[in-house]
Amino acid sequence: MTETLLYLIQQLINGLTIGSTYALIAIGYTMVYGIIGMINFAHGEIYMIGSYVTFIVIAGLLGMGLVSLPIILILALIVAVIIASTYGWTVERVAYRPLRGSNRLIPLISAIGMSIFLQNYVVLAQGSRDVALPPQITGGWTFGDPSVFEVSFSYMQALIWVATFVTMTALTLFISKSRMGRACRACSEDLGMTNLLGIDTNRTIALTFVIGAALAAVAGLLLGLYYGVVNPFVGFIAGLKAFTAAVLGGIGSIPGAVLGGLILGVTEALTSAYFPSEYKDVVSFSLLVLILLFRPSGLLGKPEVEKV
Amino acid sequence: MKTIKTTLKAVALAVMATTSLAQADTLKIGLAGPATGPVAQYGDMQKIGVMAAIDDINKAGGINGMQLEGVIYDDACDPKQAVAVANKIVNDGIQHVVGHLCSSSTEPASDIYEEEGVLMITAASTSPSITEKGHQLVFRTIGLDSLQGTLAAQHILNNAKPQRIAIIHDKQQYGEGLATTVKTFLEQNGTKAAMFEGVTAGDKDFSALIAKLKKQNVDFVYYGGYHPELGLILRQSREKGFGAQFMGPEGVVNSDLAKIAGEASEGVLATAPKSFDQNPVNQARVDSIKAKGEDPTGPFVFTAYAAVELMKNAIEKTGGTDPEAMADHIRANPLDTAIGKVSYDDKGDLTESTFQVYTLHKDGSKSPVK
Repeated sequence: MTETLLYLIQQLINGLTIGSTYALIAIGYTMVYGIIGMINFAHGEIYMIGSYVTFIVIAGLLGMGLVSLPIILILALIVAVIIASTYGWTVERVAYRPLRGSNRLIPLISAIGMSIFLQNYVVLAQGSRDVALPPQITGGWTFGDPSVFEVSFSYMQALIWVATFVTMTALTLFISKSRMGRACRACSEDLGMTNLLGIDTNRTIALTFVIGAALAAVAGLLLGLYYGVVNPFVGFIAGLKAFTAAVLGGIGSIPGAVLGGLILGVTEALTSAYFPSEYKDVVSFSLLVLILLFRPSGLLGKPEVEKV
Repeated sequence: MKTIKTTLKAVALAVMATTSLAQADTLKIGLAGPATGPVAQYGDMQKIGVMAAIDDINKAGGINGMQLEGVIYDDACDPKQAVAVANKIVNDGIQHVVGHLCSSSTEPASDIYEEEGVLMITAASTSPSITEKGHQLVFRTIGLDSLQGTLAAQHILNNAKPQRIAIIHDKQQYGEGLATTVKTFLEQNGTKAAMFEGVTAGDKDFSALIAKLKKQNVDFVYYGGYHPELGLILRQSREKGFGAQFMGPEGVVNSDLAKIAGEASEGVLATAPKSFDQNPVNQARVDSIKAKGEDPTGPFVFTAYAAVELMKNAIEKTGGTDPEAMADHIRANPLDTAIGKVSYDDKGDLTESTFQVYTLHKDGSKSPVK
């Protein structure tokens, strides 16, 4: 294979990995939006907290002399999911439930407030410096002639791809097949009517936030391990990109969030690959504007039907 | 009961006495820099240096009988917050400032100080544009970006002698300024960089950039920016099997680089102010900083210390705390300080370079390159 082709393959692998990281976070955004029609701006912060919990648990277990990596990772995942879910539930309880039924802008602002609060709370509790973790999952596959161009695909990258795909599938199945999922969809259709039919809408919405937060914790664990670094500000940037991905794919649609994430990631990687990297964000956000001009509800989003 | 009351009264009186004394004979020195945010550790270095200098001066009886007091202001390395901090310092009636730290914060803040008659000495900001506005009250105890960039470029040309050089920066004033200096110097000497590109500060994924460096067969990367991004670039380069020599400015020199990049940080080159803590002249100061449980090795500790020394000397020689008289004195009279002899040109820049090339190690330490 020629250098050009190998290089393209490498950049596609990089782009799909970046895209998967956006998608993992975007799924949580889009789910909350799909069900209650609101953007949870604190989602990025929950992701950041998930990363911190992972780091603390892994560092703690390594410090206690535990060496089996799978056990460490599973324990870290469990703890991160439980703690992040608690935060997700609390965010809903504090910043959304009391404002249910008020103007849509109000919970939006309270969510932004929640996001700023969580960010600063972590700054105070953990310090604002980067916290680093040595690489845990190392190695990978390489192919291509090293004298031409060697393409590398690490196990960690593969894990992120698999995790994104599994999460997307599991969540789509949960929403479309399970009883709880049906309640979620009913809530998104008409909250008041669902309530009248005897479904506990408060519980359903709380559950949505808890699932969203659990997904953010999974993303926090994976991306924390992948980059090996976390600081209290990662949630904001990641949240912004993931939100863009969700809008691009059609906010409210789970496969859309994944598609949007992948498109954004690949665009970024290819722009960096063939143009100066400075133009990365210019190109990807121009693409966002273009897509929204022609498909205002995003790639896989359903056009909003105005209720009369 | 009565005794307790009397004791309380006595304590209260004593407290009042000390406060009134302090008000009469205390000179407040503003200490502006990031106390929070991603580069807060540099703010800590500055604080350690200033506080050590203040302690030493106070122990020796103060300046003309005045005790010094350092007042910390947090600009979080954010230009907007730096302006707010500068205004607050002016409103608090403070006329002498050591800071700010990040060039992008120092620049807007320095305009305010100049206008309001506040003497400002930055111990860490290296961007040339800070002293290009003709400000009379603005000084620094650290060399310019251009000096640091030139030193790096000389090292690249004379010692490293790479085949293909890439220059990467973080698109911020400090990083891009340095990267441009290196690029210009290399070009003037007939070497053209294979790549000159910016990354976004705060990004976590540099895989696309690294693949590109690999494809370009780059064997030397100069990075203009701070350690969080370089740390990740190093870490990801190692994972992708990209093994070029990296070099950075003093913005990457701190132990967090080794924490983030691990093994990959071994052997990275960096220009940094000379290790003043290694200078025998500063042994007593190093010991007293260590005795307080603080780290004297940071690059800005002794530049900050020297800033306070300059202020002290100017106050003693001019017989007052008037910032303008002090500025004139500082500009006209060289002084021996913790960082060696300090003398200024008309712009308020040091006339002698204080930088040196170091090799960084994976345990967070550094050793000078001969």
